[in-house]
Amino acid sequence: MTQQDLADRIGVTRQTVNAIELGKYSPSLEVAFRIAAVFGVGLDQVFQYEKPAR
Amino acid sequence: MSFREKSAWISLVLIAVFLGAYFWNVSLVLSGEMRQAAAMHWQLALVVGFVVLEIVLHVAIAIQSPRDARAPKDERERLISLKATHIAYFVLLGGTLLSLFAHWHLGWGAYATTQHVLLAVVAAELVKFASQIVFYRRGV
Repeated sequence: MTQQDLADRIGVTRQTVNAIELGKYSPSLEVAFRIAAVFGVGLDQVFQYEKPAR
Repeated sequence: MSFREKSAWISLVLIAVFLGAYFWNVSLVLSGEMRQAAAMHWQLALVVGFVVLEIVLHVAIAIQSPRDARAPKDERERLISLKATHIAYFVLLGGTLLSLFAHWHLGWGAYATTQHVLLAVVAAELVKFASQIVFYRRGV
């Protein structure tokens, strides 16, 4: 699946999908759930919390 | 580069060039090196040139990526827009208050005060587009 395909299915731009992948943008819960739903997995399988480095 | 980032670059560069030249012209009037009536023609030409180029270049990037141009802003783009506008607000507020202070306490005339308030508006727009570009590049 391309970034554009995923972007179309969750209702954001391709650049936003790219920013999420690169860790430059944390999506809203709604978009996060949509991404998980597209892949048919739970939220915790797509996103993991990383403590910011001090 | 997304349609909206290209749009921010276009506006940033055009404002810097055309409205920079406009305020250079205003500074010549305020320093007495040019008459206000003569400067008006240049200022009008610069503003018209700015508007025409904004339209032409935005149409050009919309033709290049029509789908992006038609699509509404997504949540990341809305957040970037809000954050950039928040920063620009302080530039506008500060510039406007300084202009009013100068008008009442330093005796600036109507022309100088008006142009400085206009400068605050333009500076705020510059900061807004520059901030948008930084957020698009570095993340938000």
